[in-house]
Amino acid sequence: MCLGIRAVPGLVYYGVLILSSRPKPTYWPSGVNRMSRDPVLCTIKGPIMLQVGDVKTDFARAGVAVIDVTFPQTKAVDVQEIVFKNYYTAFLSIRILQNNHHCSGERSRNWRTCLRNYCLMPNPHTEDGSQEYTSLFRQQMLCDLDQVTSLRLILRQPSPVWLHFSLEELQIYHCGQENPQKGFPLWLSCLLSQEQPTKVHNALPDAEKASSEVQQMWMLTEVIQTNETAARIGRFDVDGCYDINLLSYT
Amino acid sequence: MMAASPALKLAEKRRPVPVAAAAVGPVPAGEAEFLRQVGVTGMLREALLTVLEARPEEPVAFLADYFEKLALSRAEETGGEVPGPPALQQQRLDRAIWYLRLAHYSQRTAFHNNVSMAYECLSIGVKKKRPGVNGRIYSEVLRRICREGEAPEDILSLLLKKIQCRDYEAVPYDVFRYSTLTCFVLLEFISKANSLYHVLDDSGQADKRVCQAVLGTLGEAIMASDLYVPTSYLEAGSKLRPDCLALAMDKALLARRPSSSMSRREFLSEAAVLFLTKVKPIN
Repeated sequence: MCLGIRAVPGLVYYGVLILSSRPKPTYWPSGVNRMSRDPVLCTIKGPIMLQVGDVKTDFARAGVAVIDVTFPQTKAVDVQEIVFKNYYTAFLSIRILQNNHHCSGERSRNWRTCLRNYCLMPNPHTEDGSQEYTSLFRQQMLCDLDQVTSLRLILRQPSPVWLHFSLEELQIYHCGQENPQKGFPLWLSCLLSQEQPTKVHNALPDAEKASSEVQQMWMLTEVIQTNETAARIGRFDVDGCYDINLLSYT
Repeated sequence: MMAASPALKLAEKRRPVPVAAAAVGPVPAGEAEFLRQVGVTGMLREALLTVLEARPEEPVAFLADYFEKLALSRAEETGGEVPGPPALQQQRLDRAIWYLRLAHYSQRTAFHNNVSMAYECLSIGVKKKRPGVNGRIYSEVLRRICREGEAPEDILSLLLKKIQCRDYEAVPYDVFRYSTLTCFVLLEFISKANSLYHVLDDSGQADKRVCQAVLGTLGEAIMASDLYVPTSYLEAGSKLRPDCLALAMDKALLARRPSSSMSRREFLSEAAVLFLTKVKPIN
């Protein structure tokens, strides 16, 4: 097959792919903290739908599409993270072309598969995961992502329910630009740590009960705050300045 | 026999058909007709609606109270035996307080209705042309609510310092609503603080260090929560988790400070101070 993909039409992957157990994708709420770093400039081509048979007469869809990503000025990039928003793609494979790969020589410009049949929609026929944001890190890949000159994303959708599928808002970040966790609050990261220090002191009162009371008290202070009124009596004086003892004849 | 009762004389005045005429004329169509004529049907319906709205724990006492207030207001309307001005004002105050206590503040609509009824009922007494409640009556209402809720006097004076109006000031409805609500929420807060003290007091005496650690944690949460920063609530809430609280208490116990006990009264005042930091002062 052309384009360097040795792929067979999508339907074959039906039974096979569901068996694959990849690490769960990391989902980001849309656009959180994204502004603080810049994606690598790249040219994105596609998606190009693969078709079986004659382009004009044969309408059978293979259920495979390809997105090509190239970096301008033939600059090689150490890819750290690939972020995109799904649009009804069920499985994703990524192949890369690298510069100066370690076994440099006659076969140095070879396509390598760095992600194979990564599941984006748990059940291709249903909506689950169909429009999720996904972030793939280099640690999740099958090979290193150093000195990448181009990427080819192979999208598969075995279900005939979705005629069009693609990836949107594709962004690639290079190394040394790890997601800065500046505003990441400390309390959130320690939410799961620290197993309960079970009754260090015997004299300690019941923390469960105390906590429940304290939380209710806290809630009551919030009731007051949410009911605040902007109405004023309309006093003009600074508090207490008309006190008879403070009046003077100056 | 019924006509002889003095209480019903007033109602009779408004009856279109005098008793004597009724005896001579056609017989009242039936029991239902009679009830409608004397206004009992409407009155009972309103009473039932009020009960449904307020959902009191003791319906009998509630209804007794309701009818008592009703009789008083009728007497006032018809001008029968008008009591002297101080007594009249006292009655109005009673009625306003009664309105305010009809529904719990969490039943928003009912509570707001009742607050406006109370406000209206207090404004009638003001003789000046400017409608509204003056500062003296307003303070009296707040004081009554707190005293009837058995709030400690020192907390009451702290609260009043923050939301009191001067005697001559006209109090707008919104301020009245906010302040009465604050009183009721404060009462609930105190009762929660009371049961918290009970938890901390389980060994017979509440350790001052532990109490202060707990209150300190609560204070931190109150300070940290900001209405305009939604995530601040997550942070504040995380401070009050049982394990965090246990850690704080544990740390307080380990600190090398002399241990002494904290009285309930002291504890409540300190808690109330925390609450009052969130109360907006009136200006």
